[in-house]
Amino acid sequence: MARVELVNLSKSFGEVKVLHDLNLTVEEGEFVALVGPSGCGKSTLLRIIAGLEDATSGEIVMDNEIVNDLNPRERNIAMVFQSYALYPHMTVEENIGFNLRISGVSKAEKRERARAAAETLGLTDLLDRKPSQLSGGQRQRVAMGRAIVRNPDAFLFDEPLSNLDAKLRAEMRDEIKHLHHKVKTTSIYVTHDQIEAMTLADRVVILKGGVIQQIGTPTELYRNPANSFVAGFIGSPAMNFVDATLETSGGQTTATLQDGTKLVVSVDYAALGRDVKLGLRPEHLELAANSATNAMPGSVRLVEPTGAVNHLKIKVAGQNLTVVDDTLADLALDAPVHLSIAPEYIHVFPKDE
Amino acid sequence: MTTLDTQPPERRMAAPRKRARTFPRLGKYATHVVMITGLLVTIFPFVWVALMATHSRSEIYSSPPPFWIGDNLAENYIKLLDVMPFWTVLFNSLWVATAGTVGAVFFCSMCAYGFFAFNFRGKNLIFGIMIASMMVPPVLGLIPFFLTVQFLGILDTHLAIWLPGIANAFGIFLIRQYMVQSISRELLDAAKVDGASEFRIFWSVVLPLIKPALATLGIVMFIGLWNNFLTPLIVLSSPDKYVLTLALRSVQSIANSPWGAIMLGTFLSMLPLLIAFLFFSRQMMAGLTAGAVKG
Repeated sequence: MARVELVNLSKSFGEVKVLHDLNLTVEEGEFVALVGPSGCGKSTLLRIIAGLEDATSGEIVMDNEIVNDLNPRERNIAMVFQSYALYPHMTVEENIGFNLRISGVSKAEKRERARAAAETLGLTDLLDRKPSQLSGGQRQRVAMGRAIVRNPDAFLFDEPLSNLDAKLRAEMRDEIKHLHHKVKTTSIYVTHDQIEAMTLADRVVILKGGVIQQIGTPTELYRNPANSFVAGFIGSPAMNFVDATLETSGGQTTATLQDGTKLVVSVDYAALGRDVKLGLRPEHLELAANSATNAMPGSVRLVEPTGAVNHLKIKVAGQNLTVVDDTLADLALDAPVHLSIAPEYIHVFPKDE
Repeated sequence: MTTLDTQPPERRMAAPRKRARTFPRLGKYATHVVMITGLLVTIFPFVWVALMATHSRSEIYSSPPPFWIGDNLAENYIKLLDVMPFWTVLFNSLWVATAGTVGAVFFCSMCAYGFFAFNFRGKNLIFGIMIASMMVPPVLGLIPFFLTVQFLGILDTHLAIWLPGIANAFGIFLIRQYMVQSISRELLDAAKVDGASEFRIFWSVVLPLIKPALATLGIVMFIGLWNNFLTPLIVLSSPDKYVLTLALRSVQSIANSPWGAIMLGTFLSMLPLLIAFLFFSRQMMAGLTAGAVKG
């Protein structure tokens, strides 16, 4: 296991700078997820950590040793790829044992370790099969077997579940988490799926345009997003944003929506200036009576039943807000309703962010 | 795409059935006639050579020429050994073709891997020049080729026939194209992470995956070297180093050319290729048509 540290790491492809002075420390045994939209540089960052790509500037430190000039093997990391990247001409056992074969491990030991890895992942019956004879989930498991067989200092995962269907993805997510609890190896996991990042990781790093937006535990990111990008990215369904103006009077801060509705905001955001964006999470908005605190009048535009809850689109102050309704209220289209939200759940961001 | 088809099944079938009825048999027969004619035209020289190998010179020149199996095979064989060291020459051909083929398969695939896996300054330019070199008629290069071989001091050796071609533009291009479509970058990365050196990646991961292309190049090279006449003609001067093409041609110039023996030698020289083709035709087709169709 290793502590992985990135110090002022930058990467450019020609004129295009894809990573900007990143600083990040992944503690020994920690599971960190890098998450962000396509093209934010998360895969490039992972490839730099793996040694498959050179950093333009900055340092990669593993266990207090700068590893910039070491090749992937010397860094003793293992990587699971999005396409699994199994060797098509080798059997499952040969795939898992390939890196042991290269490092000159004896045949008997290679076989033993490959079988042990296969057993951990439930692949024992498939050892003689070729990758083409395996299902997506099985291939994914072989790719993980190949990673764990050599006891690496760190695991790198590059969107390993994105080629699987939703059900299998959830299963494999559990398996990865289970595996991490078992082997406790430092893991860095790249994904564009915030649910995957939140459920798996001890800490999540949000990247946008090659810049780290926020680092924190899933709960921290959810409760205290550093900016509107993080707020919009974390949480499902995504956070609603509405324009408002802030006023402070008599020790109370209120936000006025475009239709004149006034909402009480718990914290004094006066420093943000008058024009702001309010962030309202769909699960914090609830259908309420006219007289409720922070009641906003609106009308029903759409009802999307998901079984346990309904997703509502309610038009408030000229904008459609998504609401998670766990009361499963029977609503007609265009029916007038009121939404309310507790002041402590209202996030306020600068408007130009 | 799924669309709703409201027509009853009978009506849906009607249109194609009507079209098919117009010229069904004619088309089929025409195809067969064309194919059989093509087959006969292609196979005739081979059969003719085989038949003539059993006849004496006078029978061959008789009019009409005999189109049956003769009884002069043994005499022709004795004559063949008399006019040339046939088995030595056959071995020379085998050696040249095998060495050149093995060398080409190895070096072309290594060069192709270089173009496929590495990024270096001027890569596209070099690759472009290499492709462009395929458009130069080979005959234009004969004199420079001769001068180069002379400079290297390998005139009148077999090396001069097979060595210059072991890294050739066609082979490199063929294999690189095959690599581009059959090997993913992530596979190379995975091997790197597994700790494989570049040569190990090439040897253990890439080579096994491009076998069809290697087989194709191998067969094309073997046929090319086996049938090569011009290069041996230019570089070889000692009769004991002759290859089949050159030896068979050289005895045609003497008075009263022993045509029966020459035909026997020609037929024997065709046998290895025929056998090779029987065994490898499937790989050859697979390699040459790979990438033509997606999937």
